[in-house]
Amino acid sequence: MKYFGGCDVGSTYTKCVIIDENGKIVGNTTIRSKINAELSARDALEQTVAQVDGLRDISDLAYLVGTGYGRNKVPQAQENISEISCHAMGVHVTNPDVKAIIDIGGQDVKGIAIDSDGTVQNFAMNDKCAAGTGRFFEAMANAFECSLEEFSNLSLTAKNVIPITAQCTVFAESEVITLVGEGKPRDEIAAGIQQAVAKRCFVMAKKAGAKDQVTLTGGCAKNTGLKNAIEKVLRIKVVDLAVDPQLMGALGAAEYARQKGME
Amino acid sequence: MKDLKHLYYFESLLQDANNELVRQAQAEGKLAIGYTCFHMPEVLLNLDKCFSTRLRAPNMGSMEIATYYMCNGSCEYSRALLERAMEGNYQYLDAMAGVDLCEAMNRCMENMELLQIQDPNKKNFFWVNTDVAYSDDEASVKHTVEQLRRKLLNKLHENYGVDISDDALRAAVAEHNEVCRLITEIGEYRKLDNPTITGYEFHVITLATYVCPKYLIIDKLRETLEELKTREPDKKPNHRIKVVVVGSEIDDPDLIRLMEENGALVVADRFCYGSIPGRQEIILNDGEDVLTQICRQYLQATECPRHCAPHRVQYRYDHVAQLVKDYKADGVIYEQMKFCTYWSYERTLASHVMADEYGIPTLSIDRPYRSGNSGQLRTRIQAFVENVEIKKIKARHEAKMQEVK
Repeated sequence: MKYFGGCDVGSTYTKCVIIDENGKIVGNTTIRSKINAELSARDALEQTVAQVDGLRDISDLAYLVGTGYGRNKVPQAQENISEISCHAMGVHVTNPDVKAIIDIGGQDVKGIAIDSDGTVQNFAMNDKCAAGTGRFFEAMANAFECSLEEFSNLSLTAKNVIPITAQCTVFAESEVITLVGEGKPRDEIAAGIQQAVAKRCFVMAKKAGAKDQVTLTGGCAKNTGLKNAIEKVLRIKVVDLAVDPQLMGALGAAEYARQKGME
Repeated sequence: MKDLKHLYYFESLLQDANNELVRQAQAEGKLAIGYTCFHMPEVLLNLDKCFSTRLRAPNMGSMEIATYYMCNGSCEYSRALLERAMEGNYQYLDAMAGVDLCEAMNRCMENMELLQIQDPNKKNFFWVNTDVAYSDDEASVKHTVEQLRRKLLNKLHENYGVDISDDALRAAVAEHNEVCRLITEIGEYRKLDNPTITGYEFHVITLATYVCPKYLIIDKLRETLEELKTREPDKKPNHRIKVVVVGSEIDDPDLIRLMEENGALVVADRFCYGSIPGRQEIILNDGEDVLTQICRQYLQATECPRHCAPHRVQYRYDHVAQLVKDYKADGVIYEQMKFCTYWSYERTLASHVMADEYGIPTLSIDRPYRSGNSGQLRTRIQAFVENVEIKKIKARHEAKMQEVK
């Protein structure tokens, strides 16, 4: 049996997926990214390889594709492919009915439309600042002095939404601290934050051409409050994926590796 | 491919606005006339003992002071020029020829003038700011001629005794045309199936012709053209797709290099500081005033989105489509310097028009002044390259299947 690897070196987390000749996931790892992208990739790859009985070393992989911002630092990778293409392919092999993605990573937000074969039909991407990204949520969770998981559920009990006017992460954090200091309900402030990010996602999704349904990928896809806010703002269904949405980039890379390695 | 003999030299000329050829020309008694825009006809700044130097801000660091004088929402090019001006980088200039084209550059020039960025010892230094017409009709030509004669040519003559006769104009046009011919011929090698010059190399050479005295660089251009005649391309092309780059000011070859490192070979440079337009010959007849002929040709050749008459907009779309065909490109990258007002409209609209109406794959990006190290731009460009490449492969595959049937 041949095995194929995909390693997604993101700004915050590094993810690795290994699949077999049939495209079945046989190993996966998610670790916090280190300052050195190559070390992050090596760590994630070694941990994933250790999960697969037929593999002893990274070099035993039949084909390896790197993706994410550190895609050209993945050791022993035969190729690197942009995370935009990989997320599209990852979602396509997980659920071919889904045709649009909002990928909220650690440092950017992307809207991606998927073609019938899993390739990218169109994409839009924010850049220049961390507003509306994983970094933004980390800053907000810090302001609330809670974990990311607690923060993502905080807005679910809100009866009202307190709008956050600042888009900049630094200014928004200051605004949130002021609101918390004024004694405003924490869940309603959290709902305001989720809504602010959802609005940003709206723009990306529309630019990419999302129509009736969309799925979320990247670490922030696990944020239940955000998912609810996006459904409200976009007025379209957010489809849950059967595989951890944070792994979509690595899975797509592994699928590209499988297609290339089987040629 | 083997490195071009003079590439390193051309690159070195881009490291400083007051580069070694500018210094040499001034030591020979020539006058350096600064300018920033296509709408200030470059050829008029190369009259008699003058030479043109199109302003860039190489090695730009922080723009804190310029941002104070202007604002965060001004285009970074204008802020970078002001910052470098305040740091004393343009003190070599003998005159500055500006145009009233966009708000940001107006404010940049206004601040330069108020802050007296010129060398105080240059007593004859002067500032020019001319109107730019919105159209290319004969009334606009007449207005432009009047502006340039009164504000530029007469001042050159009064302050420095520059010969502004028709004969001098014709001599400047002849020199300009020779540079244009050389650049055009060098650029023709980008039309090959496997081009023997990269977009980065071409941009470096073109930029050098904008920032250096022409008479001091022309020999190197001739040698480069000769070299290209026998230059062997790499057997396996390094690029994955070919693109036409369209948009606002690019004077940073690192942006072109970033595109090429990610698989998009830049085969046509339809942007400010590129060769299309800017390096087309000026054809003169004997029957009409030379200045009028020059002004008319500049107004007709401009591709600046400031010219928003419907026929000009259509001309720009059609021209981009034609470039894609002529240079055998696979797609277009519309780029815009952040906060450039005119290009923000053009980029947004044209990127849809080219994709939807002309069927040309199009990527739309905005960028800061220096963007050679942008990770986000790398991702966007690579994703675009992958997208176009895979569609090409699929199209070839489908064509083969049709043949089999």
